[in-house]
Amino acid sequence: MRARHIFFIAALCALASCQSLREEFQPVVTGKYDDPAKKSTVTMQTTHTIAALASRYKTGSPWTMDENIVISGIVSTSDKTGNFYKSFYIQDETGGMEIKMGKNGLYNDYLPGQRIYVDCRDLCLGMYGYKAGSSYGMGMVQVGFADPTGEYETSYLETSLLIDSHIFKGAVEGEVKPVIVPESQLPGNKDTQATNSFIGKLVTVEHLSYGWYDSWYKENNEAFVLLYLDSNRDKKLSSNRIFISGSSTGITTWAMSKEKMKEYLCSGIWDDVHIGNANDYTYGTVGDHRGDGTYPDIEKAAGSVSQYFSTPGGICVQVRTSGYSRFADTEIPSDVLSGKKKISVTGILALYQGKIQMTVNSPDDIKVEDL
Amino acid sequence: MRKTLTVIALLLCAVAASAQGSLTGGVKATVVNRIGRDPVAAAKIDLLKGSEPVGSYKAGADGSFCIEGLENAAYVLEVSAPDFVSKSVNVVIEGYLRDLVFITLTPQQSRREVDESNFADFDMDDSGYSDSPTILFGTNDPYNNVAGYGFSAIRFKNRGYESESQDVYFSGVRLNDALTGYTPYSLWTGLNEAVRSKESTNGLESSEFGIGGYNGVTNITGTPDAVRTGWRFSMLSNSALYRLRLMGTYASGELDNGWSYAVNVSARLGGNDWVEGVYYRSFAYYAGIGKRLDERHSFNLVTFATPGQRGAQNASTQEVYDLMGDNMYNSNWGYQNGKVRNARVRKTFEPVTVLKYEFTPSRTFKSATTLLWRTGSNGYTALDWYDAPDPRPDYYRNLPSYFYMEDEDYNRSNSEKAAWAEYAWTHRGDAYANYQHIDWDRLYNVNYNSPEGRSKYIQEERHTDQNDLNLAQTVKWLPTELLTLNAGLNLRWNRTENYKKVADLLGGNYYVNIDNFAERDFASDLAKIQNDLDYYLAHGEAQKLYVGDKYGYDYLAQIRKAQLWGSASYEKGGLSLTGAASVGRESFWRDGLVRKGLFPDDSYGESQKSAFTTWAAKAGGAYVLGSAHRLSANLGFFNDAPTFQQSFVSPRTRNTLVSGLDTRKTFSADFNYQFSKDGWNLRFTAFYTDIKDQTDLMSFYDDSQKSFTNFAMTGIGQRHSGIEFGAKMPLPVEGLTLSAVVSAGRYIYVGKPHMIQTVDNSAEIIRDEDVTYWDKHPVYKIAGYDADGTAIYDQDASGEYIITGYRQHYVPSTPQLATQIALNYRTNSYWFFELNGQYFAGSYLDMNPLYRTTFAAAGGDGVVTPQEVSYMAEQEKFDPAFLMNCSIGKSWYIQRKYNIGFSLEVKNMLDNRSVKTGGYEQTRLLSSYGKDRYYRFDPKYFYMCGANYMLNIYFRF
Repeated sequence: MRARHIFFIAALCALASCQSLREEFQPVVTGKYDDPAKKSTVTMQTTHTIAALASRYKTGSPWTMDENIVISGIVSTSDKTGNFYKSFYIQDETGGMEIKMGKNGLYNDYLPGQRIYVDCRDLCLGMYGYKAGSSYGMGMVQVGFADPTGEYETSYLETSLLIDSHIFKGAVEGEVKPVIVPESQLPGNKDTQATNSFIGKLVTVEHLSYGWYDSWYKENNEAFVLLYLDSNRDKKLSSNRIFISGSSTGITTWAMSKEKMKEYLCSGIWDDVHIGNANDYTYGTVGDHRGDGTYPDIEKAAGSVSQYFSTPGGICVQVRTSGYSRFADTEIPSDVLSGKKKISVTGILALYQGKIQMTVNSPDDIKVEDL
Repeated sequence: MRKTLTVIALLLCAVAASAQGSLTGGVKATVVNRIGRDPVAAAKIDLLKGSEPVGSYKAGADGSFCIEGLENAAYVLEVSAPDFVSKSVNVVIEGYLRDLVFITLTPQQSRREVDESNFADFDMDDSGYSDSPTILFGTNDPYNNVAGYGFSAIRFKNRGYESESQDVYFSGVRLNDALTGYTPYSLWTGLNEAVRSKESTNGLESSEFGIGGYNGVTNITGTPDAVRTGWRFSMLSNSALYRLRLMGTYASGELDNGWSYAVNVSARLGGNDWVEGVYYRSFAYYAGIGKRLDERHSFNLVTFATPGQRGAQNASTQEVYDLMGDNMYNSNWGYQNGKVRNARVRKTFEPVTVLKYEFTPSRTFKSATTLLWRTGSNGYTALDWYDAPDPRPDYYRNLPSYFYMEDEDYNRSNSEKAAWAEYAWTHRGDAYANYQHIDWDRLYNVNYNSPEGRSKYIQEERHTDQNDLNLAQTVKWLPTELLTLNAGLNLRWNRTENYKKVADLLGGNYYVNIDNFAERDFASDLAKIQNDLDYYLAHGEAQKLYVGDKYGYDYLAQIRKAQLWGSASYEKGGLSLTGAASVGRESFWRDGLVRKGLFPDDSYGESQKSAFTTWAAKAGGAYVLGSAHRLSANLGFFNDAPTFQQSFVSPRTRNTLVSGLDTRKTFSADFNYQFSKDGWNLRFTAFYTDIKDQTDLMSFYDDSQKSFTNFAMTGIGQRHSGIEFGAKMPLPVEGLTLSAVVSAGRYIYVGKPHMIQTVDNSAEIIRDEDVTYWDKHPVYKIAGYDADGTAIYDQDASGEYIITGYRQHYVPSTPQLATQIALNYRTNSYWFFELNGQYFAGSYLDMNPLYRTTFAAAGGDGVVTPQEVSYMAEQEKFDPAFLMNCSIGKSWYIQRKYNIGFSLEVKNMLDNRSVKTGGYEQTRLLSSYGKDRYYRFDPKYFYMCGANYMLNIYFRF
């Protein structure tokens, strides 16, 4: 009898331990899960336009925003092709603003055409690409996070909780339609989003011809790329840098992937290029590192290229393309390179050191114009 | 107590002597062990008249008993004793004291009425990171009982050997995985009853089934006549792995007509208290039928499988565990619609069918032929994604350390962002759950939003589907009384298909068969990024994939093995000598079923065939001194082929073999002393094993190359030496025994392996050199410390740093010292109690060879400094651990027919939650601020769970 008692108690213990079974069995019994619902979107009251926010920026003074500032805009870029990286632009009627998100594959979560609200409190307003001097000028006002290293004025948001508590997703309102910017309204080197409503927006610039003559340095520019001998070492060391620029770079693609870079380098077309900063040509030439023809000391990494174009009036418009973009190795049509044909470019209009740079979402946004 | 009993017995006898010649009589005898005729103390004698119990008596310490004053009649004596098979003796009392002289009892093989083997078999399953539990199934050896089960929670590896070195046979067929050599326990987990009957040898000993290696041979009998006769049901609940196991078994035993059959089914269901996301939904069945035609021929047909699925556990860095406040955190799961879902689920259904024919033409000759076929599918799910953020919650960029490190040299200085990241990890509740676990709802929403419903996140299922056909022929012949000859032939044909398939599109409509990694480097070359180039060329686009479609990679591993072996043992008096040898041939090749865009000429079709001649030789001798002492020594040489798994640089993508593939050479020797008498049981073993020319392969992202790379290491050497000691001794209290077990060894790496590192996307060789700091690294003389406490290293006159010694690197993931001391108490009413304490020390973390290269120690500036070597090459040693466990059990007989019992075990009673059981180093490197040196990524660990119970209740008849 005693035995049965003990057995009974033991059985009861076992059953009690199974109490949690129902919860645990949920996936166990069916092996299936219901599809989650679509996530809902928000609407928020904005306090500032993009231009109004940009006007709060003072050159050289990144500002961690300690006010209630909410801006809103439609996502105008996509990192899908890799030409935009870790950030996207939003735009309203007054201008466009880069939001430095710091995540990959943003277009999956922040759809082109989707309205985004940015609660700016605790975020940082800063500029990238400013360089003083009469032949240089402004960069772009951006929203990011404070960078305590001081290397840049802003850093990426990066952490998920920081992003989710400042960047809110609204309705998908449809992809933005680019407007054509007349040559006369292209920004000057002192403009920002506060003073020119095309800056930071998706726009079309027409009638661009290849190459740009720099009357200051008195040289013709066609393409520009900066390589490093070893990107694992200090990139600021003159001895680690190779500037490839001018009118005889031999670069005929919008940018260069790792493979393309290898191809260009090993062809020997850059053998005469000096290593080092322009004022410090003491490290020999690329050709000195030829080795067995594979240039073993020079890293073969993807290279971002600026291709130089001129408006009919001689304004410089660089088309800047990332070496990591999927269309990096796309050849520029030979008729364009030879100057026979002009192009129109639809992309984000930006300033870098006072020069106009266009960055496209896709190669289809570069169109060869009929004569 | 014992004294009292003896006195009572003697008194009874004295009384009996005076009563001779009357209507009453008596019976006396001495209960002895059949082996050695030693008296069996404390035997219990139940006296029955017909089926009526008359009385219960007890034998004295010398095994003698005497029952007097019995009416003349026919009686039955039921003699039982712990650890012995009970025996019935018929006796007729005819008015005098009958002296039966001896009643012999046979020692019980499985020793205990209370079913402890449930402990031993229960958690031999993988709990997420290892499919190869290390276990020697205990026989009566005091060491093996403990090493087999008692040390399993700490992931103890016997003598430091990899589990592959243990040969596991089923019904006479060696079943270690053909591709990896892993022990195949997962094929029959949950079939504890069907596989209970087994034989094992230790270390270098040979067996009847094969000559074995240096880590023992276990053969699971597997035939229906070996399953314990009768009905048996059990219910098991535990808190460490799965909540509930239900099991039912019926075995007929061998019937008079020669037939025997057995069935064993079970279900293991539910989660556990320690690791969220780990759950079981596993079933198991075994069915066997056998027929003995006559004395000479018998046939058996058996089939079994363990269909089901179970969620797996993942290792994380200590930073993650600390943020979560839980060393049992599992990053594999997340909430979907509020329900826990695990991304990594093992789904298996691998039926095994065995046909066995035994031919016994005479008492001196026996032949067994077994045909065994393993087939089915073995899948393991994981998240896969295309051009979207890494969905793993503990991805390093989600952690505070990615944003801020105190050491400025790490160049991670954004403490505010670190605070945001920390906030998300350290706050509890729904608002933060999706930062700490997989955010399934987001993955679905990304797929919903994707144009055309092209899934960006899916759940893939990686398959290794085996077709494994084995033929084993063994013969045993005893030409003379003194000589036993065993020989056999093993043939193996294995064809395993390795591929991925789409398991769940997670709310999307389709996925696309292209290679993400290739796309990083060859984004604009559409042909190169194709997983299936022929499909692309035929259709002009990559294949759209739907649930169930194969994608990614698809190749056959083809393996052929043949082995001939023989052994002879000679026994005379106390001396026995054994010699054994084998010779074999193994070949394998890869057969690509798709043409890969990256390697159009080297991915489709058959690779070069690799073939190796294998051999082994063993010799051993033993001498039995008196009846209690046994001395033995063994040695063996082995020349084994590398496994398929170790032989291809990147089997997913191409046919390239590792260069410099060679057979693995092993020398092993052991010496043993055993003592067994009067309940004392002791074994001492010393062993030495030297392994040369092992191969290892890994694939990882190399930050310095910004590429996914393959790392092939050849010429790895190991040396294992040590002792094993196990002792069991009765204490002066009846039923109480003390046992102690010690395993102390030194398992080290020897020599510098060679490594070849290739870029996975291009097969380009980027490094071809020795792994300088693999087996040890230098310790440099320190001259002093600077103001920051940084060591300044001493240099000699020529500017060289002064080496004062070397720090040895150890074979990882097992304690070099493992000990247990246990108290065991059993009563004659079938209660048992055990309390044990265990101490483990000298466990090391698995090393990543990249961190032991000169390259990694040199850093970006290419200069190797003592600081860098000491930091980069150091191997982490785990803290020692002390654990306490206890168990209790009892069984009851009801009407002598039904048997009910339970056993309850509580493990890790002290709730020690800081015991590391294993882990691994990551392979990534981080450049310092000045780019002059590298830092490691944090290693990932597995921890042992805290206090946990296992309760088993069984019923049999």
